[in-house]
Amino acid sequence: MKFHLKSLVMATAAALSFAAMAADSIKIGLSGPFTGGSSPMGVSMRDGVKLAVSEVNAAGGVLGRKFELVERDDEAKNERGVQIAQELINKEKVVATVGFINTGVSLASQRFYQEAKIPVMNNVSTGTIVTKQFLPPEFADNYIFRTSANDTVQSAMIVDEVMKRKYTKVAILADSTNYGQLGREDLERTLATKGIKAVAVEKYNIKDVDMTPQLLKSKQAGAEVVITYGIGPELAQIANGMEKLGWKVPMLGSWTLSMGNFIDNAGKNGDGARMPQTFIQDGNTPKRKAFIEAYLKAYKPANDRISSPVSAAQGYDSVYILAAAIKQAGTTDGPKVREALEGLKEKIDGVVASYDKPFTHDDHEAIKMGMPVMGQVENGRVVRAK
Amino acid sequence: MEILLQLLFSGIALGMIYAVIAFGYQLTFATSGTLNFGQGEALMLGALVGLSLVSTIHGGPYLNFWLMIPVVMVFGALQGAVVEWIGVRPAIKAKSEFGWIMSTIALAIIFKNVAENIWGKDDLTFPSPVSATPFHVFGANVQLMQVLVVIGAIAMMLAVELFNRKSIYGKAVVATSNDPDAAGLMGINTGMVITFSYALSSATAAFAGVLVAPLTLTGATMGTSLGLKAFAVAIIGGLTSGMGAVVGGLILGISETLTGFYVSTGYKEVPGLVLLLLVLAIKPAGLFGKAAIKKV
Repeated sequence: MKFHLKSLVMATAAALSFAAMAADSIKIGLSGPFTGGSSPMGVSMRDGVKLAVSEVNAAGGVLGRKFELVERDDEAKNERGVQIAQELINKEKVVATVGFINTGVSLASQRFYQEAKIPVMNNVSTGTIVTKQFLPPEFADNYIFRTSANDTVQSAMIVDEVMKRKYTKVAILADSTNYGQLGREDLERTLATKGIKAVAVEKYNIKDVDMTPQLLKSKQAGAEVVITYGIGPELAQIANGMEKLGWKVPMLGSWTLSMGNFIDNAGKNGDGARMPQTFIQDGNTPKRKAFIEAYLKAYKPANDRISSPVSAAQGYDSVYILAAAIKQAGTTDGPKVREALEGLKEKIDGVVASYDKPFTHDDHEAIKMGMPVMGQVENGRVVRAK
Repeated sequence: MEILLQLLFSGIALGMIYAVIAFGYQLTFATSGTLNFGQGEALMLGALVGLSLVSTIHGGPYLNFWLMIPVVMVFGALQGAVVEWIGVRPAIKAKSEFGWIMSTIALAIIFKNVAENIWGKDDLTFPSPVSATPFHVFGANVQLMQVLVVIGAIAMMLAVELFNRKSIYGKAVVATSNDPDAAGLMGINTGMVITFSYALSSATAAFAGVLVAPLTLTGATMGTSLGLKAFAVAIIGGLTSGMGAVVGGLILGISETLTGFYVSTGYKEVPGLVLLLLVLAIKPAGLFGKAAIKKV
């Protein structure tokens, strides 16, 4: 009898805890490219998010419940992103989704979250329009938030650098994706406010193997600096293409110049490239140091180099901001979580920055002007630019 | 003037890459009237196998660049024979008009997936066997590797042409391409000749792969767009003419760099493809191709 009672209690306890786990975990969607040219960003972001989630869960979770991630590889393809959004919303019934690396994928997928009133934390994609798709008066509330430095912030920093170094002739090389072309527009607009018109504005396709015409046009126009908007592999083709032509001017560009697949494939040709960074892997505060150490320990990237530190840090912070909002809302109900995000009371000490009221009803950008710093490629690593 | 020269040099290097792959299409078309739509993937596999041999990614380096080339070509030949054996021979046996199209495309996708699993989906750098620092020719910059691509491509094509014209085995190939039935009656093992042509075609593609890899990046997806452009070259130049492949390749390569510079980089692929449409409309056998008269 005694034995029976014991096993009964145990079985009940096990069943209860199992039920508690299954019913009570808070499901968070995670969408990003874990393969292909954008994967250094996608994988680093995913690992940053996982690290934050494991820490949140180790500390007891939120509202007494654990976070559970539902990961999907969107392959940087817009149509894949749409399928995943529908799956996460309708089948997995996620409470919120974090991720999105590619501006095009963000723009294509977010509509479904907006309609379902489920908050989205964009933690990497940077197109200025990403958080501005669903604005009043057409939409009363916007469910799209962001924890990365948008193109407006980045192009302002790039143009500041141009002014600081007194370049007057700049060439812009941007890829033909949504990311490259929207970024190019931002750049041209910001340059115009300083009275600079690019001497050459060129375009290339993903997987192009020859950049000769684009670079020759820039060279011919007397460019003193090449400003880039693209992703790693083709940026490396540009750096290597300059060597092919025996023409060397500084490279300056969006934050993607910090991607591992640019640095590795460009080798010495990539040295000196400068880009805005929200996070640099050098641990200059205890919080950042702890984050870098925990990341290296958990995911062991090659040569102890996080392939995209920016993505990892922004992914990490996005989870903490979301967790604080769910805690404040006291529920996982989408509209309530959005309200909490827009009036966050808790001050969050993140690795990118300290967030004090990061969002309001009309401002969904956590990274403000002045938060990112300039980084520079040096011997295969990104360091703080002097 | 220097600019024009620079554009021409880059266009020639690019065009010769297209030409070698296009040449591979022609080899199999000549003997069996079929094409290997996985030509781009054969190039990709050659480049990646070469990379594994000369770099440290799979515990190497095992060989230096020059010794690696014959190994890669043997690998390419085996891979081509497999494609013929699995994808093309059943279709020829069944007298299927189009079966080989689907099966070579299917094999191409399989090869790409296998490569993604072995080498990953990221692009990798291929160590250049010669100095990457450019030298000057009449004021334009040229890299030694670009010159090697052009020389290698021409040498490859000359070697195959010589083999076909001078050696007894080559004559069997030519005989099969002229009239397979008569060749069969003369005691030529035409099945063997077709397998051989596939092996040769993939071996040239693999060779092209290791030639271009130091100039571009190496990865599972590198072959797809190159294979497609080379197909356009083969159509422009004509599927029956080695000369056509070279001229077609140069036309496409040079028109890309010239349009990119003088018109717009957004339109650089348009003139070559317009030419493709024109050729198909006016001279469907290609600029240098012999029109095939099909007796019914």
